[in-house]
Amino acid sequence: MRSSTRLLVRDEWIGFAKSKVMLVLWIVLPAIAIIGYLLLPTELLAGGGAERPPMSATAFMSFLMSSVAGTVAALMVAVDIISEKNRKVYELYIIRPIRPEAIIWAKFIAVFTSVAVGCIASIGLGIAVDAIRGHPVSSAMLYDAGRSLVAMTSVIALSTTVGVFFGVVAKSIVVAVILILYGGQNLSILPMLPIYLGILPNHFWLVMLISGTIALLLLLCSGILFRRAQY
Amino acid sequence: MVDPLVRVAGLTKQYYGQAVLDGVSFDIAPGEIFGYIGPNGAGKTTTLKILSGLITKFDGDVTVGGASVRADRGKTHAMIGFLPQSAGFQAWRTVESALDALAELSGVAADVRARRIGELLERFELAAARKKKVKELSGGMTQKLGMIQALLHEPKLLVLDEPLEGLDPPSRNLVKDILRERQRAGATVLFSSHILSDVQDIADRIGVLSGGKLAISGSIRELMPAFGLPTEIEVALAKAPEVLPFEGLGTAHPRKPNEWRLVVADDADVDAIVHTIIERTLAGGGRIRAIGLAEPDLDDLFAQYIRKGSARA
Repeated sequence: MRSSTRLLVRDEWIGFAKSKVMLVLWIVLPAIAIIGYLLLPTELLAGGGAERPPMSATAFMSFLMSSVAGTVAALMVAVDIISEKNRKVYELYIIRPIRPEAIIWAKFIAVFTSVAVGCIASIGLGIAVDAIRGHPVSSAMLYDAGRSLVAMTSVIALSTTVGVFFGVVAKSIVVAVILILYGGQNLSILPMLPIYLGILPNHFWLVMLISGTIALLLLLCSGILFRRAQY
Repeated sequence: MVDPLVRVAGLTKQYYGQAVLDGVSFDIAPGEIFGYIGPNGAGKTTTLKILSGLITKFDGDVTVGGASVRADRGKTHAMIGFLPQSAGFQAWRTVESALDALAELSGVAADVRARRIGELLERFELAAARKKKVKELSGGMTQKLGMIQALLHEPKLLVLDEPLEGLDPPSRNLVKDILRERQRAGATVLFSSHILSDVQDIADRIGVLSGGKLAISGSIRELMPAFGLPTEIEVALAKAPEVLPFEGLGTAHPRKPNEWRLVVADDADVDAIVHTIIERTLAGGGRIRAIGLAEPDLDDLFAQYIRKGSARA
């Protein structure tokens, strides 16, 4: 990583910490989610025979995070980029001897890692609650949790780049939010498309690889657009 | 002849087919303070943004220290300190952290950063606000913060868009002092301003931009003939004589009680006219407090230029 990118990433992390984003992502959200789980009726959690196995806290947290983490990451980064663009914050960065796209890469890395850590914290909290409540944490459960974490990570990466892209191209926050909510959802299906169409075999790691590649291409494209932007 | 630090040649910029800048050319010598003036929408900010690398799509050549602002971006950015018209900072930052981060990105070493930030905050009377969040600062304080970030890496060239805007008179004087100090230290300054008296105070040369073209550039004295400003003699009387002493010498315009400006012909012998006024005043029982050639001010030049421009149009 170039040193300017490193400086900018460190700065973004400090910014998220100071503006309480990390507190919300890492502590408040997992806490709310686990409280929600604990308040669910027992009969709902108990399951119903072989067709509907009991829902553990780990499974609940994995399910919840996989459904919201991507959207949170995409919206968070897009809103952040657009509001800073509109406040002319980037003018003071671009005039310095750094690569302009480093600003965008730093934003991606900071949001991606912050949301990913939030997911790890949530699933970890789920595992801890299961253990405290006397439900043994089996190796199968841990495998599933790990697998869902990897899947979640790729979704977060792809969603964050979608957020970065719309953050770079959109001028208003409202427009970016609409584009993310509609277009972003469609883009997240993209890695699965070759499998649905029968072009590629249905393999977990292959989907992850396709997701990662699309995320990387989208990030590079956003960097080029940001570099070419006129201020 | 010394190579110019800034060279702008045939600079043209269009927005949606409309030329904002149309073949603008000028040079700025090292160590010079160049004031860039013009009516609203004349293209001043666009020029400064092109120089600073914020606008990269343009026609023509713009170099700083021999390096193209388009092709050698890293090199020119290291030489330039830029103050945009409205400097934006991240809302969560304190004054100190905003400056530290920007100086670090400019490549200033940690110990030097700490010293310079402290010195400049003291100088701009912001030391007490160093731990304040940027969003809590007033407009004038934010403007000062913008100035400080432009000065932090001690750039060769300061490009300042309306640096005196929003500042109270003592702060304006402070900024002017600092710019003169930077000039003495070898820096070159290019700044735009609407406050013409301030431009006159500090600029060695001015460039007047109008309708996307650099209408004229030079020192104020050099520009006088081009602007067609009349030669004027200022006369202040301690006691007026019975008959005013201006008859046949030119056209006298009263300015204040017992103060006049006499507009004389361009080829008139000013010394002879001054002598005649003194003689006539004393002979008529009057007394003179002050008399001399009136220095044109930039407001006069600019007003005259706009008048001539309107007439041409």
